[in-house]
Amino acid sequence: MKRQRKLFKLLAILFFGLFLILTLYGGYSVATYGNRWFSSSKNPRVRAQKEMVIAGDIYDRNGIQLATTDELGNRVYQPTAKARRAVVHILGDAQGNIANGVESFQTAYLYGFHSSFGELLSGLFTGEARRGDNLYLTIDSLLCQKIVESFENHSLTNGKHGAAVVMNYLTGEILAQVSLPTFDPQNISGTVNKNEQPFWNRATQSVYPPGSTFKIVTASAALKYLPELAEEEFECTGELQLDGHTIHDFGNSVHGLMDLKDAFGVSCNNIFAFLAVELTDARLKQMAESFGFNDNFLFRDLVVENSRYPAQAGRSDYEVGASGFGQSSIAASPMHMCMVAAAIGADGVMQEPVLLREVRTPSGATRVKWESRSYRQVMDTDVARVLQNYMRYVVTSGTGSRAGTRSMAICGKTGTAESTIIGKPVNYGWFVGYADDISLPIAVSILVEDIDDGQGGGSTAAPIAREVFQYIAEHPERVTN
Amino acid sequence: MGIPKHKKITMESTRMREKRKPGERLAVLVMLFYFTAFLLLAFRNSTWQGYALTFCVPAAIWGGTHILGKCFHIDTLLFSLTNFLCALGILVLYGTNPNLAYHQAAYYGVGLVGMVICIYFMRVFRSLRHLRILMIIGSVAFLALPLLIGRETNGAKNWIYFQSVSIQPSEFVKISLILVVAWFMNRRQFLPWFLCAVGCLILLMLQKDLGTALLYYVVTLLLFFASTANVPLTMLGILGGGGAAVLGYRMFAHVKKRVALWRNPWSDYENAGYQIVQGLMALASGSLLGVGLGLGSPTTIPVYETDYIFAVICEQFGLIFGVCVLLIYVAIIWRGTTIAMASRHGYQGLVSMGATMMIGLQTFVIIGGVIKLIPLTGVTMPFVSSGGSSLVSSMCLTGLIQGVASLNEDDLEEDLKLTEAM
Repeated sequence: MKRQRKLFKLLAILFFGLFLILTLYGGYSVATYGNRWFSSSKNPRVRAQKEMVIAGDIYDRNGIQLATTDELGNRVYQPTAKARRAVVHILGDAQGNIANGVESFQTAYLYGFHSSFGELLSGLFTGEARRGDNLYLTIDSLLCQKIVESFENHSLTNGKHGAAVVMNYLTGEILAQVSLPTFDPQNISGTVNKNEQPFWNRATQSVYPPGSTFKIVTASAALKYLPELAEEEFECTGELQLDGHTIHDFGNSVHGLMDLKDAFGVSCNNIFAFLAVELTDARLKQMAESFGFNDNFLFRDLVVENSRYPAQAGRSDYEVGASGFGQSSIAASPMHMCMVAAAIGADGVMQEPVLLREVRTPSGATRVKWESRSYRQVMDTDVARVLQNYMRYVVTSGTGSRAGTRSMAICGKTGTAESTIIGKPVNYGWFVGYADDISLPIAVSILVEDIDDGQGGGSTAAPIAREVFQYIAEHPERVTN
Repeated sequence: MGIPKHKKITMESTRMREKRKPGERLAVLVMLFYFTAFLLLAFRNSTWQGYALTFCVPAAIWGGTHILGKCFHIDTLLFSLTNFLCALGILVLYGTNPNLAYHQAAYYGVGLVGMVICIYFMRVFRSLRHLRILMIIGSVAFLALPLLIGRETNGAKNWIYFQSVSIQPSEFVKISLILVVAWFMNRRQFLPWFLCAVGCLILLMLQKDLGTALLYYVVTLLLFFASTANVPLTMLGILGGGGAAVLGYRMFAHVKKRVALWRNPWSDYENAGYQIVQGLMALASGSLLGVGLGLGSPTTIPVYETDYIFAVICEQFGLIFGVCVLLIYVAIIWRGTTIAMASRHGYQGLVSMGATMMIGLQTFVIIGGVIKLIPLTGVTMPFVSSGGSSLVSSMCLTGLIQGVASLNEDDLEEDLKLTEAM
């Protein structure tokens, strides 16, 4: 009998444990995914609320009104098509063509689901229609327009698809985010060519091979795990044999004898493939994962497609070598590559990207205001300092010279990634970088799809980055207020 | 001192009973809660049934606690807790689909009768020596009925229909299974125990009622563990169950689908994943404090009234209240276990523990499914889910526990008399 009593007690404790797991798991998953579940366009609660509540306004960081609701209850965006087109992928549209724009992802605020009991009550007494909360974003909408203009003004990028992200690398605030081709949310039928997939947000929803911009990760791994290599010299013969495959350099160039910094500056694939093999797949993967590859991104304000570094073990030397310069199934979104560059600029600390500055009630009181928060420490400060030096060298005397401006010290890395879409080879031009300036801590990431033969990231993406930096140097008050 | 610990506890509780039963004070709070809640909804719906519920539900709670408390030495605390859950079911249903609530209130009355029958059963039939064969044959025959005359709904064939009444036999066979299994376990008769359990499981598998099969399997296995303390064989049983689960996953297409949906319900949002996704949205929109009684749109969840009643509660009352509901189940498990531990007869202790574990496990399985911790199985939430079979059988299970509790009290009173006589 006594033993049986003990066993009963044991079983009861087992059941208490099960119920504890229920509580913890339920709390965790609602806290983590609750807003994503709720703001889903499939949520019938939101549709019901839209009938009763006037959606709040959306403003950019300088107080420019991006969206409002007119007397008839229609959603109205900025007055000019040019202005509307530049920010449509951030905002989303009233029809919900764009997934996870502010209009849909922040429905909980825009449609007053966070209204307090007192507000509901006073609304009942005054008889006024209920209004949702107003959102203040971190973006500078004029900068977004400027980026669209830059894409259109350069002959090498005019008409190309692409994406751009600009963020403050000390706070994680997103200053601009552009996806091309774009469309006018108030004239969808007239401006949309469905074959070009304009509803797709290429800055956050698409992942691309990062190409040579991934050398930031490879170089970080080399500096961390094989620090003696930084002093050594390598020889680039223009060809590297790995498992019977030959790795060539961009434009089949032969770089000759050089150290790590020079190799980074001229973006030598052979030397980085060699480094990746020396590092081993496991250590390169470890560094990539500390940069956020293979993470499940659950940012507060943004839905970002997860970046990938191949997970399987036992890859051949050829595949590992190609990973050293960002090929072979590695993929990242322009948003994530901007975070990678930002992490170097911020001495190794990666900030969580944020899009919301403040939420105010219809009467103007602050509902919520957030502090920026760091996502993780990617690497040691001294490794980051060495990379800052390398990335500066890329712009002063390497492949990224076209991103440089006289007014700021720009650091960066170019990339030209190869991929095949339905059997046809496609090249992507990349530039990621930042301004080494404590008063203007700006990081950018530019991606141009399907660039012309013979062109690279240095000739297509870097000039657009330069215009971003110039704009910021001319209007510092717009992005630092 | 020579008094064993468990006896000391029950003696203290006897002394407390002389002052005032803790369950009665709780019953007053429960009555107040439901009086205000139903009144609120009655104002909104403004139907006479609403006002009737406003007075009937608290009256039933008060009457039940006092009358049953006088007739048997039942555990009033346990009774108040189960009453709270039953009334919560009626309340939430009244806020979403009033007709279901009226039925549920009627089933609650039937459940009370069932509970009293179970209390009597435990008190009158202290031995199953003569009944066991009858019970086994009756249970198996009853459990086999849906296969013969049932219709298939939602992929499982586990209901039988008499004109307008539908009954789920597996809900009631639970009760006799616990009794029979406890009896055999206590007498160390493993072969009949094994045959009995396997027979029921095969019948449930044939009906494709895998959720209930899981409940039967785990509870009989844990009862085996509780009476023998045989760790290796229990582990073997768990491994065997795991193996059967893997086999089931390989063999049945609908099990595979369930698991795939559990892993990513959004992949087939429009069709098969719709229920899970709507449930998650309900949880998220309830947030911590809920949208309010009778508000929100929980009725967009398919079968919100049975499988997903917990999501409805969380949407309207919030997650904090949801956790409180879980705590009430934990308190029920705690009371059931204390009663089992206080019992002096191996058989009665095992019955009480078996009934307690059945309630606890069923709750875990369905709530775990709703919050996507485990794949969803179509079992009901004891006491709360809409449906007569489920409510009555849950009440009968507590009847078994209450029967054991009243027998314990009788034993104690006898002791007191003996000590006084000395």
